[in-house]
Amino acid sequence: MSTAISPKSKASEPEIDPDLRAVKPQSLMRRLFRSTGSYILVLDVLLIIAFGFASNNFVFWSAQNVQALLINGTEALLLALGLAMLLGAGAFDLSIGSNLVLSSVLGASTIKALAGAPDAAGNYPNLGVAIALGAVVCVATGVVYGIVNGILIAYFDINSLIATLGTMGVGTGVALVITQGGDITGVPIPLQEHFGLASFLSIPYPTMIAVVAAIALFLLLRFTRYGMRTLALGSERTSAERAGIRVKPQLVSLAAIAGGLCGIAGFIDISRYGSTAEAGHVQDPLVAITAVVIGGTLIEGGRVSIIGVIWGTVLAVVLQTGLIIIGVPSFYQLIAVGLVLIIAVGIDRYRVRHRGDR
Amino acid sequence: MTSQHDGTRHAGKVPQEKPGFDIAISGRHIAKKFGHVQALTDASVTVHAGEVVALFGDNGAGKSTFLKTLLGMIKPDAGEFIVADQEVSFQSIRDAQERGVEAVHQDLALAPDLSVVDNMFLGNELLSRGLLGRLGVLDRKEMTERADQALRDLSIKLPSLKVDISALSGGQKQALAVARAVMWGHTAVLMDEPTAALGARQSAIVCDLMRTVAERGLGVLVVSHDLPRVLKVADRVTILWRGTTALESPAADLTVPEVVATMVGYGKDAAA
Ligand SMILES: Nc1ncnc2c1ncn2[C@@H]1O[C@H](COP(=O)(O)OP(=O)(O)OP(=O)(O)O)[C@@H](O)[C@H]1O
Ligand SMILES: [Mg+2]
Repeated sequence: MSTAISPKSKASEPEIDPDLRAVKPQSLMRRLFRSTGSYILVLDVLLIIAFGFASNNFVFWSAQNVQALLINGTEALLLALGLAMLLGAGAFDLSIGSNLVLSSVLGASTIKALAGAPDAAGNYPNLGVAIALGAVVCVATGVVYGIVNGILIAYFDINSLIATLGTMGVGTGVALVITQGGDITGVPIPLQEHFGLASFLSIPYPTMIAVVAAIALFLLLRFTRYGMRTLALGSERTSAERAGIRVKPQLVSLAAIAGGLCGIAGFIDISRYGSTAEAGHVQDPLVAITAVVIGGTLIEGGRVSIIGVIWGTVLAVVLQTGLIIIGVPSFYQLIAVGLVLIIAVGIDRYRVRHRGDR
Repeated sequence: MTSQHDGTRHAGKVPQEKPGFDIAISGRHIAKKFGHVQALTDASVTVHAGEVVALFGDNGAGKSTFLKTLLGMIKPDAGEFIVADQEVSFQSIRDAQERGVEAVHQDLALAPDLSVVDNMFLGNELLSRGLLGRLGVLDRKEMTERADQALRDLSIKLPSLKVDISALSGGQKQALAVARAVMWGHTAVLMDEPTAALGARQSAIVCDLMRTVAERGLGVLVVSHDLPRVLKVADRVTILWRGTTALESPAADLTVPEVVATMVGYGKDAAA
C-alpha cells in the first residue's frame, strides 16, 4: 500500500545530490489533467455552440432556455457541491436525491399546513411565516439526514456507498409513506412567483444561492483549517488521525453540509414546481457524481475542484437539456450521462496512475 | 543568514536553555494483550532529556505496540508512564501531543495530496489574526515562513514547500516527517523504523537528525533494525524480547553481535 520510496525516482542522474534535486517537471499529460476544469469549460462552450446550431431557430440559445438551464443546473450544482465535499474526504453519498425529496416533502407539508387558506384574491394569511419555516424545515431535514449518514459512515464504520444506499431506500420510503405515494401539490403560488421562478438581471434567485454556496465552499477548502483537514482526511485517513485530527466529527460535519445543500435544493424544488417531484430525482446521484468526477475531483479523496464541479454540472445539464431540444427521446439522456460518467472515471483512473506512488 | 524573526514565534524553536525535566518519556512494566496474543508482558524504557535511546527487538517483539502505548494510541493493560517527570495516562494521541510527545511513524504519517507546508502544520494549523482567524482561515504565509525555518534548522533541503508531497522522494518524505515531529515535539520524539525505506545516505541524514533533536534537549526513542548505524548514534539501548525488556544498557558497552544475541537468545539464557 505505501511504498515510501517513489517508484518514479530514476537512478539515471548520477551526479545530482538526491536531496537537492528539484522535483521533476510534471509530464504534459499530468499538467493537462491537473486543470481538468478548464478543459471541461471548453467542452461546455463547444456543446452549447453545437446544440445552438442543431436546435430549431437556435432555441437552445433563447433567453427562456438559458433560464431553464440555469434553474435545472442550480439543483444539480447544490447536490454536486455537497458530494464533492464528501468525496474530498473520501466518502460517497448516493442518498442526495432521496434527501432532496424527503426535505421537499416535509418542507412542502409545513408550508401548506401553516399558510392557511387563501382568500378570494389569492392572499394567504400566514404566507411569510409559512415559507420561512418551510425553508428551515427543508434545510434542517437535509442536515439531519446528512448527520445520520455521517454517523453511519464515521462511527459505525459502514462503507459510505452501503450506508447511503441504505439511507436512500429509507428516505425515499419515508417520503412515499408521508405522501401516500403521490406528490404534495398546491404549494402557494407566490413562492414560485417571487422566488422559484423569479430572477434578478435574468439570473434566477435560486441560481444565486447555488453560486454563493459554491464560492463559500471554494473559500472553505482553499483557505481554512476545516478545508485543509477535510482534504488531509481524504488524502490519507490514518495520517490525519495520527496528526491528532478528530476525523469522525469531521466526517459527520461534512455529511451535514452535504445534507444541508440537499435541503436547500429541496426547497428550491418546491419553489419552482409549486409541488414536490418525488419521481424526478432518481437520477440525481448519477448526474451529481458525473458532474463532480468530470470536474477533476478525485474519487478516492484528497483533491476537490469546486470550479470543476461547476463546469461539470454545466456539462451534465447542457447535455441533458440539449438532447431534448434537438429532439432526441429523453431516454437517451440517461445513456449519454452514464457514458460521460464512465469516460470521466476512465480519465480519473489515468490521473491516479500517473500521479506517482499511492 | 541572521534575519532571525522574534524567536518565540517559531514553533520549531526550542528554548536553548536546559529543559526543565530529567526524564523525557518513560514507560515502566507495560503489558498489553490483543485477544490471545500477549504483545507486551513487562516492557520498560526510559529516555532522558537530551538522549537518544534505541529500542531493538526481533520481529514481533512488540516494539511498535510499545511505542503506540507510549503515544496513547493503544491503552495498555498494566504499567505506568512518565512524561517530562510527571506521571501521565494518555487517552489518545492528542493527549500525547499536548505534552509535547510526537512520533515519526514508519508509514502513513503524511497526507500525499497536501503541500509540504500543510503537512508540517496538519493538526497544529496557524490561523490568521482577528475575524478571519475566528472563521478558521489559515495564515499560510506565516506557516510557510515557519516551516521553511524549521526545515532550515534541521538542514533539510526540499525543492519547494508548495508542492504536494506525493512529488517528493521517499527520503525527502521521511525527513519531512522527522521535521514535523521535531517542530511540534518539545518533550520527546518517538520514531518507528525511520530509516527502513531509506538508502545509506538518507539513513545517515535521519540519524544525524536524531542527534540534532537530542541536542535540543528532547528525548529521542528510535525503533530500528539497522543495528550498526543506530547503535553508533544512540546513547543507550533497550532490547525487547517477546514483550519483555531484556536489557537496558549504555550503547558504548554493546557491540552488534551482542545486541543480536540478546534479541534472539535472551529467553534461552534465562531458561538455562
Ligand atoms: N492490533 C493488533 N491486534 C492483534 N495483535 C497485534 C496487534 N498489533 C500487534 N499485534 C501482535 O503483537 C505482537 C507484537 O507486534 P509489534 O507490531 O509490536 O511487533 P514489532 O516488534 O513492532 O515487530 P516488527 O519488527 O516486525 O515491526 C505481534 O505478535 C503482533 O502480531
Ligand atoms: Mg513494528
